[in-house]
Amino acid sequence: MVDPIYIVAVLLGISFSLGFIGKKSENIAGILSLLALGFTTLVSAQWFYNFVTADIETYHIFTTAFKPPFSINLMMGKEEALFTMMINAIGLFGGLYMFDRLKAAGKNSFIALLMLIMGLNVVVMTRDLFNLFVFLEISSIAVAGLIVLTQNTKSISAGFKFMIATGIISGLLLLGIAFIYNYAGSLNIDHILTQNLEAAKGLSIAIFFLMIAIVLEMKPFPANGWGLDVYSSAESGVSSLLSSAYATATVFVLMKLLPFAPENLQFLIAAIGIITFVFSNLMGMRQDNPNRMLGYSSISQIGLLAAVIGISSVIGEYTYFIVISILISHFLAKSGLFWIAGIVKQESIKNWSVLRSNKLLLVLFGVFIFALTGLPPFPGFFGKWELVMHLAETKNFIWIFAVLIGSFFEVVYMFRWLGYAVKNDIIIETKLKAKIHQIIPLLLFAAAAFGAGYYVSSEHPYASLINYLPLAVALGFAFIEFLPVFIKNTLAIAAMAAYFYFNYESYNELQVIFAAIFIIGGILTLIAGYAYKGKRQGFYPFALMMFAGLIGLVEATTTLEFFFAWELMTIGSYFLILRGKKSIKHALSYILFSIGGAYLILAGFGLAAIGKPDISIGILSNIELYAPWIFGLLAIGFMTKTASIGLHIWLPGAHAEAEADVSPMVSAILLKAGVFGLIMLFLAMGEQFIGNISFAYILSWVGVITALMGNMMAAFQEDAKRLLAYSSIGALGYVLFGLSLMSHLGWLTAISFSVTHFMFKALLFLAIGGVVWRLKTKDMYKMGGLIKKMPFSFISVLIGIIVLAGVPPLTGFAGKWLFFQAVVEKQWFLQGAVLFFSGIIAFLYCFRLIHSIFLGQPKDEHRNVKEAPFWILVPQYAILMVIMLFSMLPNSLLKPIGDMLMPYFPDGAITWDGQMATTALGYWNGKTVMFIVVGVFAIVFGWLVFMNRNAKKVKQFNIGYAAERPFLPETTHYAFNFFAPYKKAIGFLVAPGITNFWHRVDEGAHSVSDKFTKIYNGNAQSYLIHIVAFILVIYLISFGGF
Amino acid sequence: MDPLIKQILFALLTIFIVLNYGLIVQGIVRKIGARVGRRYGIPFYQPYIDIIKNYSKRTRISHGIMYYIAPVFRLTGGIGLLLFIPVIFGNNMFQNFSFSGDLLLILYFQFFGVLGMALGAAESGHPNSAIGVSRGLSQVTAYELPLTLGVLSLAVQYNTLNVSEIVAAQQGGILNWSFFTNPLASIALLLAFLAAMGRSPFDVVLAPQEIPIGPPTEFHSGFLGVLQLNRAIFPIAKLILFMNLLFGGATNWGELIIKTFFIYMWSVFVGVAFPRFRVDQSVRWYLGVPLIIGVAAVVVSKFF
Repeated sequence: MVDPIYIVAVLLGISFSLGFIGKKSENIAGILSLLALGFTTLVSAQWFYNFVTADIETYHIFTTAFKPPFSINLMMGKEEALFTMMINAIGLFGGLYMFDRLKAAGKNSFIALLMLIMGLNVVVMTRDLFNLFVFLEISSIAVAGLIVLTQNTKSISAGFKFMIATGIISGLLLLGIAFIYNYAGSLNIDHILTQNLEAAKGLSIAIFFLMIAIVLEMKPFPANGWGLDVYSSAESGVSSLLSSAYATATVFVLMKLLPFAPENLQFLIAAIGIITFVFSNLMGMRQDNPNRMLGYSSISQIGLLAAVIGISSVIGEYTYFIVISILISHFLAKSGLFWIAGIVKQESIKNWSVLRSNKLLLVLFGVFIFALTGLPPFPGFFGKWELVMHLAETKNFIWIFAVLIGSFFEVVYMFRWLGYAVKNDIIIETKLKAKIHQIIPLLLFAAAAFGAGYYVSSEHPYASLINYLPLAVALGFAFIEFLPVFIKNTLAIAAMAAYFYFNYESYNELQVIFAAIFIIGGILTLIAGYAYKGKRQGFYPFALMMFAGLIGLVEATTTLEFFFAWELMTIGSYFLILRGKKSIKHALSYILFSIGGAYLILAGFGLAAIGKPDISIGILSNIELYAPWIFGLLAIGFMTKTASIGLHIWLPGAHAEAEADVSPMVSAILLKAGVFGLIMLFLAMGEQFIGNISFAYILSWVGVITALMGNMMAAFQEDAKRLLAYSSIGALGYVLFGLSLMSHLGWLTAISFSVTHFMFKALLFLAIGGVVWRLKTKDMYKMGGLIKKMPFSFISVLIGIIVLAGVPPLTGFAGKWLFFQAVVEKQWFLQGAVLFFSGIIAFLYCFRLIHSIFLGQPKDEHRNVKEAPFWILVPQYAILMVIMLFSMLPNSLLKPIGDMLMPYFPDGAITWDGQMATTALGYWNGKTVMFIVVGVFAIVFGWLVFMNRNAKKVKQFNIGYAAERPFLPETTHYAFNFFAPYKKAIGFLVAPGITNFWHRVDEGAHSVSDKFTKIYNGNAQSYLIHIVAFILVIYLISFGGF
Repeated sequence: MDPLIKQILFALLTIFIVLNYGLIVQGIVRKIGARVGRRYGIPFYQPYIDIIKNYSKRTRISHGIMYYIAPVFRLTGGIGLLLFIPVIFGNNMFQNFSFSGDLLLILYFQFFGVLGMALGAAESGHPNSAIGVSRGLSQVTAYELPLTLGVLSLAVQYNTLNVSEIVAAQQGGILNWSFFTNPLASIALLLAFLAAMGRSPFDVVLAPQEIPIGPPTEFHSGFLGVLQLNRAIFPIAKLILFMNLLFGGATNWGELIIKTFFIYMWSVFVGVAFPRFRVDQSVRWYLGVPLIIGVAAVVVSKFF
């Protein structure tokens, strides 16, 4: 192996020799520099590879004939190898990315780059304090040189501030080192640590200086204005170096010097770190400038790492895993994002819609955002998981809260940005062109993000158990995006069918039911996709990712697998929702609620794992500590997905704006993920109590209020798809209520209703999707009289609403009948009455849906409308047949579910005699009801046909109208504000109180963020005061001044 | 004879009796209304004349398939409802098809015809029809709430949802009737009953002088004839249900006719005494006092 000293030697040698190259040969200078950096990257990589695979020993480099502590020595261990590899890599690829710029600025800029990387390499490897100081200085001077690469007032003043701040910091560092030398008589880190220095009285001050200098290097809140100014005004490439190389090295220095600090100082550092993390992310929400926003994000991530390192004594051996996985994510993603920002060159994130002109950059941008926010399959995901698990294990709950709230803030601004890029309306007429030397580093870093994710997960004892096959298939579709829809759709259906076929036998009954909803339901909705022409880019990878997540939920055996799958499903569905029209706002609120819910689930799983030997799902069933908390966190987490009242505001827009086949996917299928989570939770944990009130009781009220409000809102919508979306909220309220009954009948209702809801909601959304497809409007009052143009869609909607309304003889009634048996059995009458009430309100919107669209007066512009596309009708009629079967033979649906529930709820089951269902209270025979109704109907119909056999068909407007003649369908079709009197009577109940609440939360957070941002006024003097005050305050805290 | 055929024959007999009773009582009620208004009024057999007239009309038009089958839905709803209710207590044959389902089936099945009719009315394309449906549905949601609470209260009281068992439990004297044993639930149910019968003050749905009879505006000839048959059967079916729930059912047709007639009179008296509510008024009214009584009924029967 190449001796690591050559890293230093080569970088130093090349940068000196660049001085001899003539002024006009910048190209040669650049190529030489990159070659040097390539060489050093390879050297570190080779070391790292050997450390990982061959487990070789740590290598020490001695610079003189003397051994340490009398001479400077460097060390190359596994960590050093990894960190120098990262630093050299960013040097190499950052240099490549900035090649043009550096070349234009002259060869000296290459020298600055080489010096920076060389300095940071030594900073990582050295074991000598003074040496550390010297090379930190070298690096920071080099950075300053790079900052002023852009010659404008902003960057020059930022460079100046940077010099002043680092000047103070190095002053402190030097003071600290000098004092330490005074007390320890040595500058060698290992040597100092072997001495027992507790006795030395003044040493604590020395160590304080040393550590505070390092902390200041990490730009802690609020003494970090200088850092932010640098990020926002320097060249993007330079910012990426600062963020990925310089900050990475500081993290390593903190790790290296941490043993110096006494325990209380370590915790103080951790506290500074976490405060920085939370506040920087909070302030990041207010940013509009991408570079400055990334600066906030960088500072926050480094703060998080400082926090983790600071509490390493608490976390224990996993610190390294956590630090590395978060750092790698940050390192790759942040460089990538800075680089993309450098290509896009837009001052406001709102203008990032320009990114759409370059699909490749857009995809890379998405990858980096996901890597940065710690979503799977990137390393940060596993880091965050382990961090929360260990914080929970050691009962540091406030820390969990801080980590999650900070991460949440970051998600807010990162996804807003992503949303703007993918969907914003601002059209900028430039085609983004990235040069090849800019694209290569981006591609490599994105690939590395996936690779690192895979590597990190293979190092983790549980992550390695995750089934990556579905995800791999989903990602595989990204590579066949050039194929037409027909082929991709067939492949997707085949993949899902094959997966189900080969796996369903290994599932238990509950898993089969939900796997069927997810996969068979998925296939049905995918069939509608044949109606699309062209390539439909960006649909299949995400649709399959969502289904991969859903099936992962069903298959999960550990909490990590469950969480992984949950996040995966969220990502996939986020993009599906984002595909819709006017979807920016809704997709953002969807992802925020989802991620917020996911964090609650994460925290719940963390608490659940306390004191447990493993993290299998089974741990939920024997929890001794904090059971109500765990239950509450998980339940609320799952309820974000079932869109229970209070957490529902993301749903209507998200479902309504989606495409024709995406609406049923997200509405009929995706919501069931929350149901599945709740079922799992209830089965494992049973009833939980707060004080002596049962959670189930609270949830029952949440359920009925959700049902009532969902249905009532649906009745007042003008937009057909919004109406159905609200109706889904209501339906999920029913399911939640059913589960909260905690009885055989209640669960039978909830699960069978989940299946029924899938059928009728998929049916309705597809049918309405087909109508919208043809009419290009979702407003119902603009339609009318379509029954003659779209008879097949009409029949679908007709059957769909009969099932939805629960009117006998169709299968919907089974749900209603069961509900009331269960309610009377449980004696929750008030809830039962509200539920019945909301069921009747469902009639309101059901009628409105079918009347306003299909009945009444057809509009002139729709005279030539055609029936919905064939492929959208196919799945509808498949579902219709199943509905008819279940209606005739209700026990074919209910009996298997009842049998499945027997082990959990043996009492109060239904007795079946043929199709005759009997409970303790009542009875019902679906088959005879069907026969009687059909029989009577047939007789009466026959009678009427006999009487009216010669009835004449008449044209539109041939209606008995007093005094005037109707001639405009618009004025004759009574459809707009259909339930006006009803709204007058009880419309106040649906005033948007909850939406307003969340808006206020949103505004509140942003204005707090704004207040804090005000402290960064751009004035160097203020920044100095911040730094000095910061030092003073920390000093007073650590030495008991307060 | 095959028991199924026998059952069907008895069902037809039930329908026949109820139809005639319904038509006659309709005529009588109109006569009473006229006399209260100091008019001479129609002969009591006028409904028969109307039906015959409607079926003999020569002009017959159709607005489309849903319009065509709407009266079928409506009448099927009425007949079905009647057949799902046990009519004469203690008589196996006049239980008709009540073995198909319990009180919940009955409560939900009453919407079958209503919704079917609403669809047909909507297809006729007449704005008054749609307005009538909008009003009707709004009002249904409101009065169903006290109705449900009353029914739930009875279900707790008798611990069953089986109508025959509820009737059986009320046998053995007037004081055993739910009307006396569970007065709160009875009040809630009887208040809900007013709107269920669609008479004034809750007749905004048809609102004759305002939106000329609302949903059925466009129906004529045989279509209207079928609807008229239903208008005879459907209210009687509801009356039988209320009689079974609150007034001890009936052990023979005579008792049935007397009891249902008096229950009907309750809605008639209220109707002639009070003018029509607007929809928002009737909705709010039902969500006021009747709702509170309903909640009280449930609470009382659960805890006492």
